[in-house]
Amino acid sequence: MGKLYDRLMKDYRLREGLNACINCGTCTAICPAAEFYRYDPRRIVDIVQHQDDAQIEELLKSDTIWYCGECLSCVTRCPRKNAAGLIIMALRSLSIQTGFFMESEKGRQMYLLCKDLNHNILNYGYCIYARAFKYDAHLEAGVVWQWVEKNIDEVFDRLGGNLDKEGPGAMRKIPQKDLDELKKIYDITGATEMLENVKNAGLKKAEELGLTEEEYCQKIYTECSPKHFNH
Amino acid sequence: MIYEGKKKIWAEYQKEIPEDHYFYVRSCIRQSFFPASEATFLDITRNKLGKDIFETEHHTTCGGIAYHSDTIPQETVMTIIARQFALMHKYGYENYVCSCITSFGLYCETMETWREYPELQQKIAENLWKSCHLEFAKPKFLVHASDLIFKYRMQIAAKSKYKLVNKNTGEPLRVVEHIGCHYSKMFPSKGVGGAEYPYVLVGMVEAWGGQIVDYPERRHCCGFGFRQYFIKGNRGYSLSNTHKKFESMEPFKPDMIITNCPGCPYFLDRWQYVIAETQGKTYGQDGHGIPVFTYEEVAGLVMGYDPWDLGLQTHQVSVEPLLDKIGIPYDPAKKYLGKNGKYLGEPQKPQCLK
Amino acid sequence: MKNNILVIGGGPAGLEASAVLSRMGYNVILAEKEKRLGGHLAKWDRLFPDQTPAKEVLDGLLDGIKDVKCFTETDVNSINLLDRSFNAMLSNGITILADAVLLASGFDMFKAEKKEEYGYGIYDGVMTNADMEQVFREGKTFSPAPKAIGFVHCVGSRDEKAGNPACSKVCCATAVKQAIETKELYPEANVYCFYMDLRMFGRHYEDLYLRAQKAGIRFIRGRVSEVAETSEGRLLVKAEDTLSSRPVKVTLDRLVLMAGMRPSEAGHKVGRQLNLSVEEDGFFSSRDGFLSLQKSKLPGLFYAGACTGPKTLPDTFHEARSAAMEIDRYIKENFRK
Repeated sequence: MGKLYDRLMKDYRLREGLNACINCGTCTAICPAAEFYRYDPRRIVDIVQHQDDAQIEELLKSDTIWYCGECLSCVTRCPRKNAAGLIIMALRSLSIQTGFFMESEKGRQMYLLCKDLNHNILNYGYCIYARAFKYDAHLEAGVVWQWVEKNIDEVFDRLGGNLDKEGPGAMRKIPQKDLDELKKIYDITGATEMLENVKNAGLKKAEELGLTEEEYCQKIYTECSPKHFNH
Repeated sequence: MIYEGKKKIWAEYQKEIPEDHYFYVRSCIRQSFFPASEATFLDITRNKLGKDIFETEHHTTCGGIAYHSDTIPQETVMTIIARQFALMHKYGYENYVCSCITSFGLYCETMETWREYPELQQKIAENLWKSCHLEFAKPKFLVHASDLIFKYRMQIAAKSKYKLVNKNTGEPLRVVEHIGCHYSKMFPSKGVGGAEYPYVLVGMVEAWGGQIVDYPERRHCCGFGFRQYFIKGNRGYSLSNTHKKFESMEPFKPDMIITNCPGCPYFLDRWQYVIAETQGKTYGQDGHGIPVFTYEEVAGLVMGYDPWDLGLQTHQVSVEPLLDKIGIPYDPAKKYLGKNGKYLGEPQKPQCLK
Repeated sequence: MKNNILVIGGGPAGLEASAVLSRMGYNVILAEKEKRLGGHLAKWDRLFPDQTPAKEVLDGLLDGIKDVKCFTETDVNSINLLDRSFNAMLSNGITILADAVLLASGFDMFKAEKKEEYGYGIYDGVMTNADMEQVFREGKTFSPAPKAIGFVHCVGSRDEKAGNPACSKVCCATAVKQAIETKELYPEANVYCFYMDLRMFGRHYEDLYLRAQKAGIRFIRGRVSEVAETSEGRLLVKAEDTLSSRPVKVTLDRLVLMAGMRPSEAGHKVGRQLNLSVEEDGFFSSRDGFLSLQKSKLPGLFYAGACTGPKTLPDTFHEARSAAMEIDRYIKENFRK
């Protein structure tokens, strides 16, 4: 049993999610990622259950572990009560802790995800904050969203929302005291430290590449190698 | 298809849903993209049905999207969840209703993990005290807001002005239901009707006069995939999964789609637009898309709410053909008005999608 | 004086044991809950590995029980151990005092509708192995001729979620046999077997597999994950081809589920009255796993056949004969001194 495997086993999601895989493939059969990417969740579970650190390290450095969409459809089907999705989540966390995430294109996307989502949480109290969801970055949100964005306060008023205002309601301004509590939760549960590490690793990489932070963000936001795809 | 077979399965998954007195928690995505749906939920439950649904401005995100994008540790998200539960307790409630499916799944998962690992629950309770000075508590009943509308479906039907029926032919509308993956795929017993043939939306549609259409990719994810959508380079994943669903449902000619997850209606609506604009392909009649609704919007429509009060003007797929089919009146001149009747201008027209 | 032996269950194990005991000179009383003798064998068309007609085997069994008192459509309402004999009250009102009892209660088929994702009882084209045998037995044909048929191994077997982690032993061979028979009926059809491991362990079973391969049956190493109905009423089946590590989707006209073996409910009813112990898999536990396989922990009560776990027919017949030998020894040692 290797050290990486030991660290994985400390993760409750692995303890819950790994219960001896029978290699039947019911997870892969219905996996939304498996049809799109070169991806087979069954293989990942099998590798982890072999407890071979060299193979686990390879996984942690790979793009493979970042293909899952965490829909957890695999959980319903496994005849052995495994949860491939939860095992992936534990692998991702370990990849971030060990810094191996920086060795894959999909892993490096962590920089942006950490930055944007947690900015929303810590500043507004939401994962998604309507005012920060920009049409320019999300053309697929449609011309109707372009219209919403242009008239966002009016639209929220019209639709019974309470955008950035006091009191309860949709997209209300969450009191600072509550945001402070979220920050304290981040501090004592390791989120602050994790976000800091991801940030530093990204900035270091940007520097190595001779890119400004903005250029680096643009690169990881759009970059997509054809090697990921199945077709 | 043997309908009786499904009924047997539905009979096996009976979820206990208390009648009244809930602590209500909002969804980040529903608030952002469907604020009127949450407003409608509260209006129906509180004002039309007289239920006690309490909301406090102090609740926050559950952190679920950040967690499922792998950007915060499990311990962090569990402590945020514990804070939400503690607020419920503080305000004197023991029934918890959430608007978000990601939250609902995460709450189920968290409570199950706490049950299995009491030392973890203890740690989270300590975290909660250290960070927020709140007393740890767990809901006695945890339900999704769609469970409640399911529970009230007959009362809603009794107050309805319209049915999900084609007014010209008298035929029930053909409705596709889409259940958020995190509703019952992890814990089938936590969902109304289980994981394979969930009944939560089927029950609403049947009560309101429509006819459910099953299709091969019914259970497939909409393709949100968290990071697979947020990062532009990954977005093909999201689009391709929605595309797969529409290709699969197309031969069944559905009139509309009803969803219970906040993200799914956004994706199923917007990716239809993208498919139309980039491929020239549309899935509805005469160049239209198939309109996608939240369950609150559908409840609102049958109860006679004004479509523009329900926020249907913020869908990209136009809803007017469906409103005409049911016979629901609407004023095109009021579609793009603000609260006080101020004209906000019109969105650009898509090139292809009508 | 002839000793009374009560045999509970008129399937292959009960019939064969009754025949042997009756030849030995015992007074055998057989109770069968169904209308017909023969158990699952009576519902089967042909048997693996050589497609022997099931009727031939059943007729052979019935020939042997001419001197056995058979009660069909008869349940054992109550049974208890007196001093050293068993007192059984049958549902037909008859009370029997037996010096030994053979429990040959066999198995129930796994209820395939429990695997909800396969849609048995929901999607019209989904059937079980038993349904398929009935089709063969009655000489029915599918119309229009199916273009593609699939067989799913391990339905309710090797499945913790379905409540049965164990292998049901006979399903692989049954699937391959039915696949060959299907291909013979519909040579133009594509026939698929979805399997995890092919457990073709018996004599001539591997030959059956070879025949299937030569007949062009496709073997996909992956468990079926999900079944759905298409707009034409066909079945869309999803699995992973684990040999190529790719998800596969196959559209079929029929899907045959190899429902596995579960302990018989009727057997449990008898077992509860006598406090017979069952193992984790729900089947009765023998006194030990090697030398006393046919003995229960209760003196005078014996087991034969699938009531102690999934078995093939030859296994069952071996057990029936050894149970008869054990009963004979028991009676001689305890009642004839």
